[in-house]
Amino acid sequence: MQTIQRLVLKNFKRFKALELEFDPELNILVGGNEAGKSSVLQAIDIVLSASRSKVDGIGLEALFNADCIYEFLAGMRKITDLPELLIEVYFDDLPGRHDLDGRNNSKGTDYLGIKMVCKPVDEYTKEIQAILAEKHENFPFEYYGVHFLTFTDEAFFPFKKPLRHLLIDSSRINNEHATREYTRSMYAAHASAAQRNMHGFEYRKAKAKFKDDVFKTMNEGLDAYKFDVRTSPKASVETDIIITEDNIPVDSKGMGRQCFIKTEFALRNQEHALHVLLLEEPENHLSQVHMRKLIEHIRASIKKQLFVATHSSVIATRLNLRKVLILSEENPSRPASLMDLSTGTAEFFMKAPDNNVLELALCKKAILVEGDAEFILMEALYKISAPGCSMDADGVHVISVDGTSFKRYLELAKLLSIKVAVIRDNDKDYAANCVANYADYASASIQVFADSNNARHTFEVCIYQDNQAVCDELFAAGRKTLSVEEYMLKNKTDAAFQLLEKKGTALAAPGYIQRAVAWIRA
Amino acid sequence: MDKSVVFAVAGSGKTTRLVNGLDEVRRFLLVTYTQANHDNLRTKVIQRFGYLPPNIAIYTYFRFLHSFCYRPFLRSKKNTRGIIFSVPDRFPAYPLTDDRRYMSPGRWLYANRLAKFIMQSGLLEAVVARIEKYFDVFFVDEVQDFGGNDFNFLLAISAAQVNMSFVGDFHQHTFDTSRDGNVNANLHENFDAYKKKFERARLVVDTDSLKRSRRCSKSVCDFITEKIGIDIQAHDERTSVVRYEDDPAAVAALYRDPGTVKLFYKEHQKYECFSQNWGASKGMDCYEDVCVVLNPGNVKAWKTGSFRAINPETRNKLYVACSRARGNLTLVPELLLKGFKRF
Repeated sequence: MQTIQRLVLKNFKRFKALELEFDPELNILVGGNEAGKSSVLQAIDIVLSASRSKVDGIGLEALFNADCIYEFLAGMRKITDLPELLIEVYFDDLPGRHDLDGRNNSKGTDYLGIKMVCKPVDEYTKEIQAILAEKHENFPFEYYGVHFLTFTDEAFFPFKKPLRHLLIDSSRINNEHATREYTRSMYAAHASAAQRNMHGFEYRKAKAKFKDDVFKTMNEGLDAYKFDVRTSPKASVETDIIITEDNIPVDSKGMGRQCFIKTEFALRNQEHALHVLLLEEPENHLSQVHMRKLIEHIRASIKKQLFVATHSSVIATRLNLRKVLILSEENPSRPASLMDLSTGTAEFFMKAPDNNVLELALCKKAILVEGDAEFILMEALYKISAPGCSMDADGVHVISVDGTSFKRYLELAKLLSIKVAVIRDNDKDYAANCVANYADYASASIQVFADSNNARHTFEVCIYQDNQAVCDELFAAGRKTLSVEEYMLKNKTDAAFQLLEKKGTALAAPGYIQRAVAWIRA
Repeated sequence: MDKSVVFAVAGSGKTTRLVNGLDEVRRFLLVTYTQANHDNLRTKVIQRFGYLPPNIAIYTYFRFLHSFCYRPFLRSKKNTRGIIFSVPDRFPAYPLTDDRRYMSPGRWLYANRLAKFIMQSGLLEAVVARIEKYFDVFFVDEVQDFGGNDFNFLLAISAAQVNMSFVGDFHQHTFDTSRDGNVNANLHENFDAYKKKFERARLVVDTDSLKRSRRCSKSVCDFITEKIGIDIQAHDERTSVVRYEDDPAAVAALYRDPGTVKLFYKEHQKYECFSQNWGASKGMDCYEDVCVVLNPGNVKAWKTGSFRAINPETRNKLYVACSRARGNLTLVPELLLKGFKRF
């Protein structure tokens, strides 16, 4: 199977330098809004298409890393220091493709691959020199050349493509140009070159026959000037085809349905089909039900290498967390892989209820709490423990975790070096439940906080004991059989919600929570 | 691993033998020295299979050298722009380790030193590995034209663990594109010493399989053996007319005959007739009757009875030209064609 092994970027969009190693089957790219997920898909798409018009359409200014341009202009502005843009795509073994096999790559080692290089054209150095000498802030993009080359440094052309790929960008699903490109790629993936030639030929023949038969009478009434139908390259099979579902053009369906159909069709396993499929935020426009269906289709697809850029924890966990690559906003050149996550944990998240795994994976600091009551009150307790501060301002996320699965999250946090405070109940045995239990995880960046007094066995007990007057005032009225403490234990979320609503600023935070807040802020 | 070098005579079926050795399964690397032979070989391969099978790669030697052996390893690093066939200046004489020895100031690689550059850069092993990785069989046609550094390079890469067959005709050595100073300057002086070099590289030398010409008649073969001094035997007893013609009217008729190719020592394009140059006619197998045009020096040699004593390179080219004849061979003096020459 032809697959992409590695991507190397230099001065491409937000990446001054980036190197990603890929899984041969599935790669899930996650990251914040500006982390560059789409840029990675775009880079692969640009190189595999080897289309200069695609690059011209986007413009070099939009493709170049803004920082390197700024630094160049602010620096000595020497012609030899002009930044170059590089995208390299490395392939697995492609039998017989010695035209791709060479060491003209950034590694200087024999690999199979293709690259796009944008660099100043040597013949223009004089003109560039003149522009740089003027001290204005315009960068001479116009004097740059775009080259698609193989690793043997020979020119690379689209017809030499070692694999067929397709980018489906759900945000452009209704865009006419994107639709045409999609249709054409799918057509190329389902018809061999010989078939396509035959289709083109027959289409032209059919048009000629139409003219001869249908226009006959009309044209006979004319002498020198007659009517005909267009047969130019702008009106060929490739421009005129559409895709239908039950005889209805797919383009005329709703965006959600279009996203679903287009992705599902591309995922099918057929002869001549696609080798690489790039999916940009497939969750867009999809309902939960359709998203789950799509996930099933993605999981079932074989003989394809998939790249999925997503914000959705559901997609990431259901597909396989171990295939996740995390792009960081702060540190774009240092992506993290979840490859080393244990199989058990990856499978756990695949099966577990919908969760916020990606929120944890993408943050720097997190407080993991055991249930909904803690989750509801955490923000208030945080402000009380650290007056004048807020979790948003401190960049701390609260994630509610089912008590039994703390360790799954901690494994992830450990792998990604995320600072995590676990806040949990001692469940009447502090030493066993809260210390010994996490001996393998506790570290400089992971700490477990719970009340060390076994009598104070849950969050509600601690809250009640530390805020007896407030709780009695809120909940004592109307209690007949249950004590206030018992009521709070039986109606955890409701009690928490009322406390937050009515006494949110008047509470005292239990000692272990105060310690957790102080530690996580440090 | 079968590795052999077959020395053949003109018209004995070298190319046919190569093409018959091909199949649609094994991965073949075919290297020819000249562009003309590359095109010729390509046509024959298409004739044999009905198309150009994707498992057969046909290269001219310098394209092979540049795009298969040099570019994958060094292009970006050396930032060169391509290959040129002009001969490097003798001075300044840069040392072997200086890149400027191998490329022009404009960073074009000198063809005759490219093989040396690759060897000097320590890439022989990488080239051999690349051949082994992508091919099962390595064929070289026109092996006699490899000289200078290219001959050393060819022997060095013959270490590749693939089946190998080189074919050539020692006496058809006419090209000097490879010449680089003293390197292998005397390579083609002595056939026995030449053969030994292949034997030392562990290639089996075969001078038997292709020693009879199928193309040339017995008359043409006898003429070449006797007058040019190069041993060639005919495959059968077929005879044809071999003659020297200096009757102006007969020569003019030959000149106009579209069925007879006129082979000139050089500048055939200055004559508006069916023509080619001696050297460039190598590999051509499509002529029937041939008219070889002799310049005054060669006419003199003819009149003294033999071409044996003329300049060896010219003699080889004359041999190539004469051995193109499938049918009749006529020698004419260039002087009689002067009136047709365009300036």
